Amino acid sequence: MLLDIAQTAVDGLMVGGLYATVAVGVTLVFGIMGILNFAHGQMVMLGAYVAFYSVTTGLGFWPGLALAALSMALFGLILERLIFRHTLTDHMAGLTVSLGIIMVVEHLASAVFTPDHRTFDPPLAGSVRFAGMTLSAQRLLVLALVLLLVGAFYLFLQRTRFGKAIRAMGQNRTGAALVGVQITHVTAAVFAIGSAMAGAAGALYGSLFAITPYMAAAPLMKGLILTVLGGLGSVPGAVAAGFLLGLAESFGSRYLSASFRDGYGFVLMIVALLYFPTGLFGVRGTARV
Amino acid sequence: MTVSGLKLWLLAAAASVALNAAASAQTVKIGMVNSLTGPHASFDLPAAEGVQMAFDEINKKGGITVKGKKYTFTLVSEDAQSKPELAVSGAQKLLRDDDIKVVFGILTSGPGMPAATLFGKSDILYFGGFTLLDTLLGKPGFELAFRTLDADSVVSKSFVPTSVKELGVKKVGILLPNEDVSRSIVAAYKPLLEGAGVTVPIVEYFQPDTSDFAPVLRKFQNMELDGLLTGTNDAMVEAIVRQSTELGNLPKKFLYRGGSGAPGIKYSKQIDGFVWQILTRDLDYASENKVKEWIERYKAFTKKDMSPNTYWALTFYDTVFMMAKAMEQVGSVTDLKAIAASIKGMRYDGVRTMRFDKDGRAQADIDIGILKDGKISSVRAPFE
Repeated sequence: MLLDIAQTAVDGLMVGGLYATVAVGVTLVFGIMGILNFAHGQMVMLGAYVAFYSVTTGLGFWPGLALAALSMALFGLILERLIFRHTLTDHMAGLTVSLGIIMVVEHLASAVFTPDHRTFDPPLAGSVRFAGMTLSAQRLLVLALVLLLVGAFYLFLQRTRFGKAIRAMGQNRTGAALVGVQITHVTAAVFAIGSAMAGAAGALYGSLFAITPYMAAAPLMKGLILTVLGGLGSVPGAVAAGFLLGLAESFGSRYLSASFRDGYGFVLMIVALLYFPTGLFGVRGTARV
Repeated sequence: MTVSGLKLWLLAAAASVALNAAASAQTVKIGMVNSLTGPHASFDLPAAEGVQMAFDEINKKGGITVKGKKYTFTLVSEDAQSKPELAVSGAQKLLRDDDIKVVFGILTSGPGMPAATLFGKSDILYFGGFTLLDTLLGKPGFELAFRTLDADSVVSKSFVPTSVKELGVKKVGILLPNEDVSRSIVAAYKPLLEGAGVTVPIVEYFQPDTSDFAPVLRKFQNMELDGLLTGTNDAMVEAIVRQSTELGNLPKKFLYRGGSGAPGIKYSKQIDGFVWQILTRDLDYASENKVKEWIERYKAFTKKDMSPNTYWALTFYDTVFMMAKAMEQVGSVTDLKAIAASIKGMRYDGVRTMRFDKDGRAQADIDIGILKDGKISSVRAPFE
C-alpha cells in the first residue's frame, strides 16, 4: 500500500512538473503585463510539433527541445512586438486578442499538420526500478528537466540584474521605469522567456503524450488554474501549485475516479482560494515574480 | 477554410463537373455534413471522401436510370468542425434547401446525435456512422435513418472469440473513456468475454480527453491480468499501450475496440499481442482484387496516399451504391420511405458485403487485425 502511494505521488510530481512549466510562463506574462495570455497553450502545442519534427527528421530530442524553446521565444517576441505591445493599456483587448490568436494558430496548425495525432520516440524508453517502485524512465527525465528549468529560471529572477528588473516591474511598473528599468525591453524579454518556457514544456509534453493541433486546451486550462492557485504573478506559487495539481490528479484518479481527473484541479483551486483568497503565494494588490 | 476543407470542396466541384457532363440528366441533390476539421476530422474526412468518390463514380457512368430518366447527383457539403452546435447549424443549412432529402455523414457521437435528431424530425433519409445512432434506430421518427457501421452487439460476436483464440487471454481488464458509448461496449463485450471463459475482474472509465494514464493504469497493476480491452480511438490507445509498457506489471496483450493497428504495431517489440477491429476493410494488407482496385481508385480520386484512417472512406461508399440501386428499383428519387424499405431488403456485395436490418442497422462483414509474435495478419469475420 505504501509503495502504491509512493508510486502515485511520484507519478503526480512528474506530471505536475510539466504543469508548473506551463504555469510559470502564464504567470510571468501576467505579472509583468497584466494579460492572461490564452494563446500560451498554442505555444505549448507548437513547441511539441517543433520537437516532433526535430526527432522525426533525425535532428534528435535534445536539439528539438532547444529549438522548441528558441522558436517559441521568437514567436512570443513577434507576438509582443506586433500585437500585445499595442494592447498593454487595455487588458480586455489583450485578452480578446489572445483568444483570437488561439483560433488562428489552431486552425493553421490543423491545416498544416493535419488533425492526426503524432508521437515521437523519447530519448529514454521503458521503466526503471527504484526503491521497489516501477517508474517510467522518460517521466523521470522530464521531472529532472523541469526541476532544472524552473530552478534555473528562479535563480535567474533572483540573482541576475535583468531578473531583478523583471521583479521590479512586476511590483510597480511606473516605479521600475523611474529607477531606470527599460520597460519595453523587459516586457519583450518577459514575453520571449514565457514563450520559451511554453515551447520547452511542449517538447517535454510531446515526449510523453500525443501531439495534436487541439492539444493546447488542457495545458492552458491547467496553466490558468495554477496561475490563480499559486497567486497571480507569483512564479514560486505557480511551481508549487503545479506540483499540487499533479498530486491531486494522480491521487484522485488512482484512489477515487479517473473520470473526474480535471475536476480535482478545480476543487483544489476553490478550496485553496477559500483559505488563501489571493492564491498560495499571492499578495493582495501586488503582483510578485 | 482549411486545406482539408478546400480539398474536399475541390473534390465536390470535380464531382459536380462530372455530373454536369451528362447535360441532359436531371440532378438529385445530396447533403453531406461531416467534421472536415477539428479532432474528429481523421474519421470524417476520409468518410466524406468515400461519399464523394462513390457519387463521382456513379456520375461518370452516366448516373442512374429511374423510370427511363437519367439522374445524376450533386453534392452540398457542410463542415461540423467536430462540434455538436456546428453539426446542428450545418444540418439546418442543408434542411433549408428544399431539394436536399438525403444526407450522408458524421462518424462521432458528439456532433452526430443532435444532427441525426434534427434529420429524424425533418423526414430526411440519413446515413450516419456514429455509435450512438444505434440508440435512435428503431424508434418512431427514425424510420429513414441508417447506421452504416456494425453495432457493437454485432462486431463483438466475432471480435471476442477471435481475440480470445488468437491472444490466448484468460484474465482481462477493461479500460474505456467515460462516455455513453463505453457503457454499451462493456454491456456487449463483457458477457461475451466471460462466456468465452475469460475473467474480467476490473472495469475502469477515464476522462475522455485524458493523456496521462499512469494513475488509472496503476489500478490494473498486480492483478495478474494477461489482457486489456480498451478503446476507443488511436490516440488514446497508443497512449495506453505506451504507458502500460513504461509502468510495468501490466498486461502486454491488447484487445482494441475500434481504430487501426497503428497503436499496437508501433510498440510491437514491447507487447505480446494486439487485436483490432477494421470495421470496413483491411487496406494495409489487402489481398482481394476488389479491395486493391478500390485503393487505386481512392488514390487517383483524392490524390492522397493511404493512411491508417483511410479505411473510414469505406464507411458510406457501398451504401451510396445501395441507395442509388434502391432508387432505380423503386422508380423514384423522392419516395424516401420506399427507397429506405428497398435498402433494408437488399444484400449488397460491394467492396464490403452488407445489408441492413429492419431498423437500419448495418450488418456487414468486417476484418479483424492481429499482431502476434511480431507478425501482422487479418481475418475476415462474416456477419452471418
